[in-house]
Amino acid sequence: MILAQTTEPFIRWDWVWSHLGLFWSRTVEHLVLTGIALGVGFLISIGLSIVALRYRKSYTPITWVTGVFYSIPSLALFGILIPLTGLSVTTAEIGLVSYTLLIFIRNIVAGIDGVPQEVREAALGMGYTSTRMLWQIEIPIALPVIIAGVRIAAVTTVGLVTITAIIGLGGLGQLILDGLNRLFTTPLIVGTVLSAALALLIDYGLVLVERALTPWARSRAAL
Amino acid sequence: MIRLDHVSKVFPGSERPAVNDLSFEVPAGEIVVLVGPSGCGKTTTLKMINRLIEPTSGEIWIDGARSTTQEPPLLRRRIGYVIQQIGLFPHRTIAQNIATVPSLLGWDSEKTKERVTELIHLVGLEEDVADRYPSELSGGQQQRVGVARALAADPPVLLMDEPFGAVDPIVRARLQEELKVLQASLHKTIVFVTHDIDEAISLGDRVALLNVGGVLEQYAPPEELLRSPANDFVTEFLGSERGLRRLSLIAVDTTALEPGPVVEASSPSVAAMSAMSEHGTDWVAVVEHGRLLGWVWGASLANHQTVGEVQPRPFWATLESSSTLREALDAIVTSRTQVAVVVDGDRYLGMLTADQLNEALLS
Repeated sequence: MILAQTTEPFIRWDWVWSHLGLFWSRTVEHLVLTGIALGVGFLISIGLSIVALRYRKSYTPITWVTGVFYSIPSLALFGILIPLTGLSVTTAEIGLVSYTLLIFIRNIVAGIDGVPQEVREAALGMGYTSTRMLWQIEIPIALPVIIAGVRIAAVTTVGLVTITAIIGLGGLGQLILDGLNRLFTTPLIVGTVLSAALALLIDYGLVLVERALTPWARSRAAL
Repeated sequence: MIRLDHVSKVFPGSERPAVNDLSFEVPAGEIVVLVGPSGCGKTTTLKMINRLIEPTSGEIWIDGARSTTQEPPLLRRRIGYVIQQIGLFPHRTIAQNIATVPSLLGWDSEKTKERVTELIHLVGLEEDVADRYPSELSGGQQQRVGVARALAADPPVLLMDEPFGAVDPIVRARLQEELKVLQASLHKTIVFVTHDIDEAISLGDRVALLNVGGVLEQYAPPEELLRSPANDFVTEFLGSERGLRRLSLIAVDTTALEPGPVVEASSPSVAAMSAMSEHGTDWVAVVEHGRLLGWVWGASLANHQTVGEVQPRPFWATLESSSTLREALDAIVTSRTQVAVVVDGDRYLGMLTADQLNEALLS
């Protein structure tokens, strides 16, 4: 309603062309925040998943705790963290990482649970140790399910990173925030479009990664 | 050589043992088949050999060493293992699957590659399967890959858990034959689990017949098992066709063949008549310089001077000396002449009658 009252055109192309450099640096900031969140989240999730798989009883508490993280509204989480860690990347990443955990852990555990029992028996029967079996047999076979989780987490995180702009960490959210503050639709639209495009691009990139890493799954689908 | 010494297994939470005080020895280079109804502990016994299951008590010796002297993964790399569901690694090519144990043992890639090619040929697959994935192969082909993978590092011992249970009967019979041919040249010490008594009899040098609760009822070569079952359980498990099954284990003994009513084609008809009356038949087999031509009815010789003037009928089925008595019985019951004719190529060796089969079983 407020936006509709402005006399500005919906999108000001001259402003767009004159700020390409800004868009680029915001996009890079966005990518860095997303990348850190996904990378750190994935490493923590691998660790927690191994714990959950080794000690089955820990799986329920692990999903419960990460489920609680997942359900905390992100604005509230940043609010809680700012007194502790300030307006820092750490604050942003604690929030972003904790949102990825549930998605990653569920998919890693489900993927490894989906490895056929006879494959495990054959691997152990031929002399695999359980650690070597995890890395060379179970995780590779679980990859399609794990990557499916990475895709969901990546798309979710790209969206969430826009919110970290409220603690001043840049990213495409900064453009959106700027547009909202100044009642100026152009950066708002550019930020939204770029963020959505980034999510789709990363998603498509992960599809390509999956195809490259699991040629065997493709040949099964072809039959 | 594998020796089980008073081996028992009681699973946690179970009161009855799954395997109860089991002792037997698998001589080097032989196939021992563990057979019995479900719940007899045959698979448990097999898995105790490679320590996928640890015995509750007792000892297992492999080639003179206690199985517990080595860490399980190291022990298992020296023991081939084939299971019914095969368990090929879906994310690895056939070549990589076959190379599983060599890569665990750290073979160099050149040696591994040569070995993989050798094994692909050994189990009767085409070389172009090497770069395919397991899901692209048929069930029978996959099981061949399973066997190749188990043989890859040339282990002296092979454990096979119902390896042919999931393929159709025709493929199963072919895989059984191939295993026999392989074993004839490889001389592995094989422990083979099945619930199919026919498979046990056909493959085993010895058969261990287990009862529910892992009790060994009889341990003997198949022929002995069929000839003198140790108790009622064994008799019942062997089924009503024990005699037929025994016949399938006995090869035609060429020294015991009867000459039968046989004449040269050039002989006068009267010679044929006397041969027939001597053997109590109304037909006579015709040979020419030791080569079998067929047979003729005695009645058809009436107006002929020599046997050769009558066109002989071919024998319905002839046997080679490698045939079994079961095949001989089949020839006897399906032929007009009620005999099984044994030849070597086209040379006539002699014939078998039902009476002789009967004697072979009773001797």
